[in-house]
Amino acid sequence: MTNYKIIFTGPVGAGKTTAISSICDRPPLSTDKIASDMTRDVKKTTTVACDYGTVRLSGGDCLHLYGTPGQERFDFMWDILTSGGIGLVLLLDNTRANPFQDMDFFLEQFQDFINQTQIAIGVTQMDRKSVPCIDDYHNHLSKQGLTIPIFDVDARKRQDVSLLIKALLFSLDPGLIENND
Amino acid sequence: MDNHTSPVKIAALGMEQRTYSTLQLFFHEHCKDSYVLVEENSADISIIDMDGFQARRMLEEHKKHYPNQPSILISLSHDKAHDAVYIRKPIMLEALSSALLKAKERLQQSTIKAPTLKTPTVETTPQLQMTATPPETAAPLLRNNNNVAHNHDSHKTAGQEKSSSKHFNQYRYSANFLTEDADLEQINTKLAENFNPDNPIQTAKFQYQPEQTLQGYFQQAYFTALQTQQNVLLKGVWRPITILHKSKQLRVEKNFRHLYALSGMLFDKSDVSITILDNSVDCEPRLHETVLPAEPFLWKLAMRTSRGRVPADTNFTAPIKLIRWPNFTRTIITPHALRIAALWAKQPTSLMDTASYLSVPLQHVFIFYTAAVSLNFVTPVMTEKNHAAAALPPANRHRYRKIFQNLLERLRNN
Ligand SMILES: Nc1nc2c(ncn2[C@@H]2O[C@H](COP(=O)(O)OP(=O)(O)OP(=O)(O)O)[C@@H](O)[C@H]2O)c(=O)[nH]1
Ligand SMILES: [Mg+2]
Repeated sequence: MTNYKIIFTGPVGAGKTTAISSICDRPPLSTDKIASDMTRDVKKTTTVACDYGTVRLSGGDCLHLYGTPGQERFDFMWDILTSGGIGLVLLLDNTRANPFQDMDFFLEQFQDFINQTQIAIGVTQMDRKSVPCIDDYHNHLSKQGLTIPIFDVDARKRQDVSLLIKALLFSLDPGLIENND
Repeated sequence: MDNHTSPVKIAALGMEQRTYSTLQLFFHEHCKDSYVLVEENSADISIIDMDGFQARRMLEEHKKHYPNQPSILISLSHDKAHDAVYIRKPIMLEALSSALLKAKERLQQSTIKAPTLKTPTVETTPQLQMTATPPETAAPLLRNNNNVAHNHDSHKTAGQEKSSSKHFNQYRYSANFLTEDADLEQINTKLAENFNPDNPIQTAKFQYQPEQTLQGYFQQAYFTALQTQQNVLLKGVWRPITILHKSKQLRVEKNFRHLYALSGMLFDKSDVSITILDNSVDCEPRLHETVLPAEPFLWKLAMRTSRGRVPADTNFTAPIKLIRWPNFTRTIITPHALRIAALWAKQPTSLMDTASYLSVPLQHVFIFYTAAVSLNFVTPVMTEKNHAAAALPPANRHRYRKIFQNLLERLRNN
């Protein structure tokens, strides 16, 4: 049996815990705490250590989903967390003050990992704030010469999160055989 | 029935809402309201969709209650067992118009012979039974659109022709009366199995001219709005469409779905206008209107116009590069779209090579390409001398392919 992992990252409240819960087998182990100080006015709870969920695969293999804690923006553990990971899902909250800055920050932090693997980006909370639109994110990325799957995602919707992971998987290997979606 | 003043009353039976709305639009826009849709019990003529579940039973019932009412049967099959005017799907404008004229003639004959025409009766009047003559004028139009090539005329490509019929305002209706999702399934992917990009007769079969379609006009209006940073008004036989440049949305009538059904028609330039609106013009939606995101609208319109074909200027062997991923959570995922997008993002690949590398039908590649190119999401990679760039060997399989495959399976199953 081998373990594989996908890392979910993004700023506070982007929906990492929610996204992981919406696709893993059981409720994920989250070390959410009542938020204090800076996070409190944004949301009631925040993940302080890590989110962790699993998806059992046929043949006894297991996929692990790790979510980085949102409020720790500079984590020396990230490198360890990502080692052996198969790809990165970056969630961005469209209601935050400067989501492009968030995007640039995480792209830079995980640059090596992304270069070795692939990334898919989900922009959440677009139902609450529709600007910037997905096109604006693409324009921002294309200035850096990047072509990345970016979707409008509601972390509470399994289908949206699942599509994000599919885009990640096909980006890793377009030769995968699709199963009729 | 009064020929000149009151419209002929038509009952549309066994039809889903979209087909019904398309007929409604057709009567209104093209027949100048000389026909009107009514309930079965007050109709002069009935049009019955024979492909529905229980259509036969419905027809029997209908014949029992309204034995004298001329009927037009529409169906995908050749079946002419019934004594009625027959039209085969996809329905062409002329076929439908001539069927209506024929039914109207019969109605007039039967009115003379049987004044109690509209009274429901269980008896059958033999002399009023219709003969199963298919409309002659429709015969040449019953061809499958995808099989028709017009390589002699650069303005005509497969599946689209401008009608010469004055009666229908020079437009030919070739959109088929099918459900939206069925449209994709309808595509006979076997047609392109032996496709040879060097054979002009074959390439003409799989190409179309978007310029004179609603897709083409909409595209033009949309990019005008983006470039000029002003709202744009698009007018034609359809109700006006306003493109709102800032929010990349369009303002249309609430019943906008019938616009997709116009995807198979050609419109003359002189009948379409694209106007850049002054920023002071109020573009708030009216009561009967709604606002939609423009990208998924154009995506779907192009996909439907494509029907497995590509725009006429498409290079079949140039590598295609993905510039932008479509927002797949909010856009129709055409068959194999995620894989094709991922491949073109990773490594530009020609349409032909994409189909063989991914082992997918060429027409599915065509549909994705057409939708994506309409929004400038993809582009062919050309050399400086404007030749197609050389193709690279396909990427290797990922060492975890088996795991990924398992995971895909899991994502689908729950
Ligand atoms: N309206 C709306 N709410 C969303 C969306 N996506 C997620 N949420 C909600 O946003 C809240 C924050 O989500 P979390 O999953 O806790 O965010 P997180 O990224 O784990 O946050 P931290 O652990 O603090 O970094 C939850 O209440 C979600 O239900 C969305 O697209 N729209
Ligand atoms: Mg969390």
